[in-house]
Amino acid sequence: MLKVENLFKTYPNGTQALNGVSFQVDDGEFLAVIGLSGSGKSTLLRCINRLIEPTSGKIIWNDVDITAASGKDIRMIRRQIGMVFQQFNLVKRSSVITNVLSGRLGYVETLPSLFHIFSREDRERARKNLNMVDLEDKTYVRADSLSGGQQQRVGIARALMQEPKIILADEPVASLDPVLAHSILKYLEQLNKEGGITVLCSLHFLDLVHRYATRAIALKDGKVVFEGLPSEIDNKQFKEIYGKEAERIEVV
Amino acid sequence: MKLNLNQNKTGKSLTIIAPLITLLFPGSGQMLLKRTWRGITLFIITIVLTCLVFWGYNTYKIAEVNIGKLGTSWLWLPIFLLWLWNVLDAYLLSVHKKSPVVLAFLFAAVVLYTTAWMVTDVKLDRLVTRLNDAKSIAARLINPDFFQVHKDGEYRTCGWDCLWSYSKAKIQGEPTYVVRISENVGDIFGRKGTITATQWDSWFTGVRKGERIEGFETGKIVETIAIGVMATLFSTILAIPVSFLAARNIMSRIHGGTIVYYVVRTILNIVRAVDTVIWGLLIIVWVGLGSFAGVIALTIHSIAALGKLFSEEIEHIDPGPVEAIVATGGNFFQVIRYAVIPQVIPSFLSYTLLRWDINMRSATVIGFVAGGGIGFFVLETIRQGGYEQYAAALWAVAVVIILVDTISSKWRNRILEDKPKALPNGKWQTIRTWIYIIIGCAAFIYCWNVTKINLQNLFAPGPTFGRLLRDFVSIDLTKPVLNIVAKQMITTVLQALMATTLGALLAIPFSFLAAKNLTGKSHFSAWIFYITRSMFNILRSIEALLYVAIFVYWVGIGPFAGMMALAITSFALIGKLFSEAIENIDFGPIEAVNATGANKMQMIMYAIIPQVVLPFLSFLIYQWDINIRMATIIGFAGGGGIGLTLSTYFGSLQYHKAGTVVAMIVIVVALMDFASAKIREKFV
Repeated sequence: MLKVENLFKTYPNGTQALNGVSFQVDDGEFLAVIGLSGSGKSTLLRCINRLIEPTSGKIIWNDVDITAASGKDIRMIRRQIGMVFQQFNLVKRSSVITNVLSGRLGYVETLPSLFHIFSREDRERARKNLNMVDLEDKTYVRADSLSGGQQQRVGIARALMQEPKIILADEPVASLDPVLAHSILKYLEQLNKEGGITVLCSLHFLDLVHRYATRAIALKDGKVVFEGLPSEIDNKQFKEIYGKEAERIEVV
Repeated sequence: MKLNLNQNKTGKSLTIIAPLITLLFPGSGQMLLKRTWRGITLFIITIVLTCLVFWGYNTYKIAEVNIGKLGTSWLWLPIFLLWLWNVLDAYLLSVHKKSPVVLAFLFAAVVLYTTAWMVTDVKLDRLVTRLNDAKSIAARLINPDFFQVHKDGEYRTCGWDCLWSYSKAKIQGEPTYVVRISENVGDIFGRKGTITATQWDSWFTGVRKGERIEGFETGKIVETIAIGVMATLFSTILAIPVSFLAARNIMSRIHGGTIVYYVVRTILNIVRAVDTVIWGLLIIVWVGLGSFAGVIALTIHSIAALGKLFSEEIEHIDPGPVEAIVATGGNFFQVIRYAVIPQVIPSFLSYTLLRWDINMRSATVIGFVAGGGIGFFVLETIRQGGYEQYAAALWAVAVVIILVDTISSKWRNRILEDKPKALPNGKWQTIRTWIYIIIGCAAFIYCWNVTKINLQNLFAPGPTFGRLLRDFVSIDLTKPVLNIVAKQMITTVLQALMATTLGALLAIPFSFLAAKNLTGKSHFSAWIFYITRSMFNILRSIEALLYVAIFVYWVGIGPFAGMMALAITSFALIGKLFSEAIENIDFGPIEAVNATGANKMQMIMYAIIPQVVLPFLSFLIYQWDINIRMATIIGFAGGGGIGLTLSTYFGSLQYHKAGTVVAMIVIVVALMDFASAKIREKFV
């Protein structure tokens, strides 16, 4: 179980990104995080694996205080939390297999990894994960010769290398053509349902939230303004989260 | 309404105060009117020019006029006008009117160029009165010593006309002289002969080290190539770790890394400010004369230059992959290995190739001080008055450098395209890789031998090296030394100014001729294009230091000769860059102006010039940066300026004073770099 308690984040330039966020996620949930751009979704997800240092507050995961960990401990925690990014964040010039194997770095010895030496098991695991996202035929291709959707699937395979208990997905489909959204999210759903991996996923489109999430929270100006089932977001709630001018858009 | 009134009131008082304080303190009024940048610039320009006039009159009696008994400089007039212009500017600014900036430029230019003209000892009359000398050296330059003819019992250089009549006679079957390839060619390119066996030879063939064996005597140009290659290889390997220490985004990840970042950046800037040739002077005290000293000097300067470029490249990588690798739990080294290095490889390779080009050029002149390569050969031929041999060396340099330039830029373009490679196709790929590796190793061993690299020498420094280090810590700051150094430094800066100006003025008309989109159209004009472009490329391939001898022969030793040599290289480089800028213009406006029925000159004025002004300015600044550095070494070949002072101090082992010169060079070059960076930011 992941518990976030009273989380604050103020950036050096004075921006107040998180303003006392508290919520909790049970194991096996698919939690959607919604809200306008700049409402603090990315900051919140990055605080959970400490890519961003929260200013104050606590994040407790299975009785371990993530916010108190340091140095080696924080890397031990990070390797159990997979992350999928809006811009995929692949090394474009490296091959698909190298990108996937780099997801294993938190587990392997530093010296062999610097010479690109990975164990047979890790290579087998990489092949299995590429198979899972249906990309085994692209194993040795350079990442930048793949399409956006394929790159994001490589990103998922990389996260899977960590054998994560949680996956943080930061707008995983926002850089993709809307019609490709389902092709990515269905993998996350499969991992969640069959693998029992907890998923925290920030999303833009409400109907995606309805379709995939088991629960949702909404952020506005760094505060939680809604917490509950996706189906509970009615028109009134919607206006509250997105502001008066917002209109609902349907994705295919 | 009330607010408006208030503003008017302060505005009124400012119109009086701002000009008034500007009268006392240039630029202060502009600062008061919140135009800080303008104020500071005006202040610096006015003060520097005032000091320059004062110094020029006291040192050289520049622009002397006698008013009654009182002797003074008429340059005080433009200074006075500039001062007044400051006041006018402050006034016009306070009432929100445009001030005539052109006037300020005019006053400043009068002061600068009058002083520069005198200080760089420009003697136009010599260009004419000694035209015969110029003709004689020109004749030798176009008849280089490549062939010899046997005549009257001795061998003489056989120029083109001699070759022409020889081949005519040969074809017609008439008896003729014996013509052979000259000894000079052997000196430059190498010949079969005996060489001393090296350690490598003893490993591979079993002869003892030091024995005389038959082999290929290395020519001076081959030695030059080897120096450039080795220096590029070593500096790239060493610059990579340095660049990580100088990259802000990397160092901020480590505890105390930011301090390391600032220290490394500062050291790199200092090392870069000192030209390769000056490094050569320092290095020969350490390891002695020879190619090895040249390799070290080039390596040191290249590490600094590449280190800076590499680190900027690291700072500009996509931070996304770094974030992703951190998120997987990777540590610092894994982040660098998997997220940073793959991203920077193409740009690192391309900068290495660029640097190879630059190093090859430096290698042609490093011999002037370090005693290896073609530079040393040129120095010898000039000393013996062998201008035909000198000419042959220049042609050899031109051919090699043009070749290197072409290979390097072709290769760079291919790397920067960075196309994803097809899937590796097994066997062939492996065989090819192994062939490359073997050729690479052989070339490495050959270059290592040719440049006589001896790592033990690094640990057995020359007898005065310790003193050099001590003296450089306690440099001579006494007044007479400072006076001399300041005088020569001003000469150097003004030389660079004159050379850049002259080069640019000459280059502008030619650059239009060398632009393919203007002259490459018809058959006749295509010839103009090829001729001007080739002229630029040939002139550009030879370093200014190698040209000095021509002008020393023509106008005599001194700053004028140096300035002319710099102007030639500036002309060639600016010309090339300008013509490329013209080639890159947008064709739309040309079409539009042509459609109005304008003629060619009108088209250039209205459609081309407005598009190329900014690139021209940026290239001028770039050339100015290069010329400042080149001017510091032009004195090694008799071109006047600070280089002469430096080599004198070094030659007489006065390291205290030499240290002062080097410190001065670092400060001035760094200041000029800073100034040009500011100007670039502002205008370009």
